[in-house]
Amino acid sequence: MTELTEYLTPERVVVLKSVTKADALGELVDVLVATDGGVSAEELIKEVWKREDLMSTGIGNGLAIPHVRMSGIRLAAMVVGVSRAGIDDYESLDKKPVHIIVLIAAPEGAHETYIRMLAKVADVLKEDTLRQAAIEADEPATIHRILTEGKA
Amino acid sequence: MMLLATSSSELGHLPILLILGGALFFGTAGARLFRRIRFPQVLGYIVIGLIVGRMWLGLIDGEMLRNFEPFNAFALGIIGFMIGGELHRDIFKRFGRQLIVIVLAEGLAACIVVGSLIGGVTYLITGDVQLSLVLGLLLGSIGVATAPAATVRVLQESKAKGPLTTTVFAVVALDDALALALFAIASSIAIRILPAAAGAAADGGILVALAHAARDLLGAAVLGTASGLLLNWILRRKRDQERALTYIVGTLTLVIGLGRWLGFDTILAAMALGVVVTNLAPRRAGSAFEIVERFAPPIYVLFFVLVGAHLYFNDMEWWLGVLVGVYIVALAIGKISGSYLGGRWTGAPATVRKYLGLCMLCQAGVAVGLALRAAELFGDQGAGALVGTIVITVITGAIFILELAGPPCVKYAVNKAGEAGLDVTEEDLMASYTVADMVDRSAPTFPQGAPLTMILRTIADTDAMSYPVVDDDKKLVGVITLNDLKQSFSAEGLTAWLVAFDLMKPVPDMVTEQLPLADAVDRMRQQELDCLPVLSEPTDGEEGRFVGLLELRKVTRMLSQEMLRRQQQVDAASF
Repeated sequence: MTELTEYLTPERVVVLKSVTKADALGELVDVLVATDGGVSAEELIKEVWKREDLMSTGIGNGLAIPHVRMSGIRLAAMVVGVSRAGIDDYESLDKKPVHIIVLIAAPEGAHETYIRMLAKVADVLKEDTLRQAAIEADEPATIHRILTEGKA
Repeated sequence: MMLLATSSSELGHLPILLILGGALFFGTAGARLFRRIRFPQVLGYIVIGLIVGRMWLGLIDGEMLRNFEPFNAFALGIIGFMIGGELHRDIFKRFGRQLIVIVLAEGLAACIVVGSLIGGVTYLITGDVQLSLVLGLLLGSIGVATAPAATVRVLQESKAKGPLTTTVFAVVALDDALALALFAIASSIAIRILPAAAGAAADGGILVALAHAARDLLGAAVLGTASGLLLNWILRRKRDQERALTYIVGTLTLVIGLGRWLGFDTILAAMALGVVVTNLAPRRAGSAFEIVERFAPPIYVLFFVLVGAHLYFNDMEWWLGVLVGVYIVALAIGKISGSYLGGRWTGAPATVRKYLGLCMLCQAGVAVGLALRAAELFGDQGAGALVGTIVITVITGAIFILELAGPPCVKYAVNKAGEAGLDVTEEDLMASYTVADMVDRSAPTFPQGAPLTMILRTIADTDAMSYPVVDDDKKLVGVITLNDLKQSFSAEGLTAWLVAFDLMKPVPDMVTEQLPLADAVDRMRQQELDCLPVLSEPTDGEEGRFVGLLELRKVTRMLSQEMLRRQQQVDAASF
């Protein structure tokens, strides 16, 4: 079990159809809005891009963690999107395509939770085998199980 | 006929209540008006009395004033009781022999110089030995008193602190007690030199006079002490405040009444009562004096208005003006030289020796009270009446000058002694600053995209606890505090890709440079913030520019450093 269980529900795990960064982020935002509803997709995507413009959240090894803190969000949450093909235009730190995108959204005042979630995600997904298993799984339910149980 | 009689006797009563009410109301209102122009309050009451009294409107005449004699005795008794309450043994323990020597030296010097100069000048003018002796005794002993209220107010306003200030506080509390004791002795001798009533002729010479005086004083001391023991015994059994007030005022009135009836010195008796109560039961006494103090102001107001009503300058002899001048000069010489000598004998610091006397020149309530007591003692017939008029006139004239000239002397003295402005609390200190004085303008700011590695490097090199984050237009967007950063230490790998934007918190509040520091600190404490961003004053329509952060921790540190600096100044002055 990883501590991601607390923030990641099965319906917030998707297999990405998009092949560009913009479309992929849009897909994840839609999932989040559909299950939280405190903010509109337009507001959320704007904030996500505001952060991306400062520095890409593609942190290397095929992983990206776009993150946002804003007042409309009700509960700290994350949405996971997996792309077996990879997203080439993400501009990761190591210039490699991105296969797993974890979108993290937290309410304005939840600074501590926010930072802890970022740290947890980076920590859980630093395992090569785990990442690989998640990328190769085709079913969102399987991906959810891998991420929350912490084993391939 | 019956009806007429009733109504006329009712009419006879009405004026007394009218006088009481009018004196209280207009006296207070008048004094408030005077305070606006920084005119001493006691003088305000006296001027109101002057207007309604014999001097001008004649609403209060001599007969009414005689009716008020018991009331005056009561007011003086309260003054005596309160002064006695100051004589707690702690004050002697704390200041020891030095204080007692200084009080005695300063008080006795004033008494001797004023007494001999007044007596001498009176003899030169009138050639009347008895009158000269009596005036010398009375005015000499009254000259010992110092007005604590005016003196203490100046010390507080100047924020004075140091050996001179401490000595002044203690001495003004004690020398009124010395004045009451000396006046009791002087007046009981004086009344035998120049008997008030025609019947009580001066017989048996000075020894008999002294014996009678001793009886008056000892009797007063015994009466006051015994009543004090009784009151203490009662207070120990009573817890509720209202009944305590009744018992305290009741005992005080009983002491004054018995004292008057037995011919004892009533002020001294009331003072003895105060001394016993304050020393036997300090805690219960504390509330006893508080109760009386709360209940006393209207009595004081009435008392001083009546003193004003007594005054009658219209056919004043020219030489009374001379006596006023002599009294003031002699008082200053006596107090300044006495303080100097007392200070020298006890090895007090130079500032105390040089400047204590200058702080002792204010006179007000007690002096006026004793003057009125002298006038009552000597009655309003013949030579006695002359003594009363002279004493009241000289004292009133003198305090008009001393109450106005005394406070500036105190101020000059504490300034010269270097003790002004040293007694500040952190609140006072804070009130003297604005945000602009404490804002950190040099603290580094981070752009939103600054990576965590760079932030950590900068923090290691600087000593701030909070750092502002600005956008490309240098506009403040948030603040990073060390506290917020702690969370990011928990995970490795975060440092590479977290930026200032991820770590900052939005700005909850902002202040402008010109805001008083105290307001800014209040806002930080209320919102539990470690820091507040500071903006320059907005100029017509344009928002203020971000100038820096105000950190609560730094404000506290700078304030305590400043407090320490001033305390060191006080300590340096003490040795």
